Amino acid sequence: MPVAVIMPKVDMDMASGKVMDWYVKEGAWVEKGAPIFEIETDKAAMEVEAEASGFLHFRVSEGEDIPIGAPVGWLFDKGEAVAAPADVKAPEPPEEEEQSAEDAPTPEVTPSAPASESLRATPKSRRIAHENGIDLATVPGSGPRGRVQADDVAALLEVPAPAPAMPATFDAETGPLAVTRSEGGTGDPVLLLHGFASDSMSWRPLEATLAHKPLIRVDLPGHGKSPKRRVPDFAALVSMIRETFDSLALDRAHLVGHSLGGALALALADTRPAKVASLTLIAPAGLGPELNADILMGIAKSTRVESLSPWLKQLVHDERLITDSYARLAMAGRQDPTLRAAQHAYAEAVFPDGVQAFDLRAALGRVTATTKIVWGRQDQVIPWRHALHAQGSMALHLFDRVGHMPQLEAPEAVGKLIAECIDTR
Amino acid sequence: MNAEAPVAIRELSYAEALREAMDIALGSDERVVLMGEDIGVYGGAFQVTGDLVHKYGEDRVMDTPISELGGAGVAVGAALTGLRPIFEFQFSDFAALAMEQIANQAAKLRFMLGGEVSVPLVMRFPAGSGTGAAAQHSQSIEAWLGHVPGLKVIQPATPEDAKGLLLAALEDPDPVMIFEHKILYKMKGPVPEGHYTTPIGKAAKRRDGQDVSIVATSLMVHKALEAADQLAADGIEAEVIDLRSVRPMDRDTVLASVRKTGRLICVYEGVKTLGVGAEVSAMVAESDAFDFLDAPIVRLGGAEAPIPYNPDLEKAVVPQVPDILAAARNITSGRI
Repeated sequence: MPVAVIMPKVDMDMASGKVMDWYVKEGAWVEKGAPIFEIETDKAAMEVEAEASGFLHFRVSEGEDIPIGAPVGWLFDKGEAVAAPADVKAPEPPEEEEQSAEDAPTPEVTPSAPASESLRATPKSRRIAHENGIDLATVPGSGPRGRVQADDVAALLEVPAPAPAMPATFDAETGPLAVTRSEGGTGDPVLLLHGFASDSMSWRPLEATLAHKPLIRVDLPGHGKSPKRRVPDFAALVSMIRETFDSLALDRAHLVGHSLGGALALALADTRPAKVASLTLIAPAGLGPELNADILMGIAKSTRVESLSPWLKQLVHDERLITDSYARLAMAGRQDPTLRAAQHAYAEAVFPDGVQAFDLRAALGRVTATTKIVWGRQDQVIPWRHALHAQGSMALHLFDRVGHMPQLEAPEAVGKLIAECIDTR
Repeated sequence: MNAEAPVAIRELSYAEALREAMDIALGSDERVVLMGEDIGVYGGAFQVTGDLVHKYGEDRVMDTPISELGGAGVAVGAALTGLRPIFEFQFSDFAALAMEQIANQAAKLRFMLGGEVSVPLVMRFPAGSGTGAAAQHSQSIEAWLGHVPGLKVIQPATPEDAKGLLLAALEDPDPVMIFEHKILYKMKGPVPEGHYTTPIGKAAKRRDGQDVSIVATSLMVHKALEAADQLAADGIEAEVIDLRSVRPMDRDTVLASVRKTGRLICVYEGVKTLGVGAEVSAMVAESDAFDFLDAPIVRLGGAEAPIPYNPDLEKAVVPQVPDILAAARNITSGRI
């Protein structure tokens, strides 16, 4: 019988842990007492020694959350047949081949991988799904190891708020997107992609920390100084961003994107992998269907400071950051009614019925560049748990007491994380 | 409480509430007798019987020789032949010495004699750890006795319940085992005056909440309530159920709570394995409330070890408030 390698309990509060680093290759021999993997908990990282000798098989992926006491691998004796023990998960299917940058096919956005054969779901979530005729296999699970919980099903049942009536009157424009560059800095440039209803000014708080690199800010269509192009759907938006990126003719760039800009950065990294030096996704869209569309629509249609300010406060954890002058400045950039109409039409196209209608989880799984995901735990726009779709090799940085705008609420810490990503390359 | 006139409510300790119940019973029913080691002039190992011997005399408040088996045998015989004995153990651990009388005689006679007799016997067991009394005087063995059909096993957690459940036990035609946590004896709480009974087999909801059900027994009810207050500060509303009775168990109250919250933590001082929490968990898993569970059930019970003498270790082997906090945070955040 093979010996299970167990996720140990190394501190009192611990319910699960992650293998951060395997010291022993799949199929390799490990001697009893030798370090076998490194574990990371909330508090510390430490080495775990093998409790028996054997050939290591059926290792779990690095970074995967494993409950205490569950096996993370199995040790087989010499001559022992290597067959999956009963509670070993089927090995992951091999990763898809990397696409080359030059002949990237369209469409870029592919649906997420099919659900595993044995679906993990709580009894309550199964009952609610059954009562409402929902196929559980289509529900993204937020629990440990992707377990579907009642909230996950309930989120699908929530009736989205009816779209506010608003005449979408703007004349579609054409022309290149607005791109601004910082002066100075050396090395591969940092390309900054802002979120919905924002503009490239929103990167200001971060720029001091990143001044040692050339910064390139792109205004999304219908935002800031970019033309109010008509955006029929997310794929069209990706094409526009890729066109702009290609026109910059960069050898390589570090991509930083926030929210919708994060989804665009990810889509760009997926289709131009050779040109991406690193990827920093701040509260990115595209990793799950849930979205608080009320907030985005509220911002998009606000015509004055009094109506905009309460929505802006929903973006952050510490409302004091949204001062009167901040709100006035934000409204000043949104005075143009055609810009508001353009953004409203945009939201309808990209977030129909208040849902993130594009799924980049598969793309996230294909990213090979150094990647960090940064999120605020009190994000009210996109649930931070979407970050749990990250691959094991990606770093996940969750800030407590921070909402949807980590770059505004924790600019130094976020700037430092981006700098780490940039400077290690 | 059936009284129609308003009843005065005072603060009494748990031990005083028990004594008042016995005083009322001795005063109103001449069949009631107290038996036990050193319960007379000495007043009982934990001073629960106190000075009752002076009020009712040595014929009603009887010191028994230092033989639990012998004393329990006399009590069973007395119950069989018309008295209503209340037998006190000095420590619940000594039930081991009297197990023949408890499990083989008191519990079975009604069944074996075709219902022709019953054993209206009340036994009181000072139980639990926390007094530095070490391995042989600190156990929580309610699950031992709870495993025996024919016995009723109850664990009052408040002074009011201590009195009401003891008076209810005296009205029960069958043997009732009362486990009294030693740490609770000095705890004060409101206790109504006069005679009242608290139904055996009915749990009490001590705190309302939507996020997680904490089903606790005896002293653990108070630890659960303390944890619940701290959890409320984090926005987690725990519902705390005081099980009160291990056998029979109040299925309806527990299941209703789990249906509401979808999450269950059982907290009990007895050894975790094969303990009260195992029974509560199984009861939920076997019921329709299963379909309302949104997380695995968590049991917090005593360690798989005797209670140590060292005070730090003594604390470590039974659930404490931080253990309950951690479990509740994990279960409500989708971490388990």
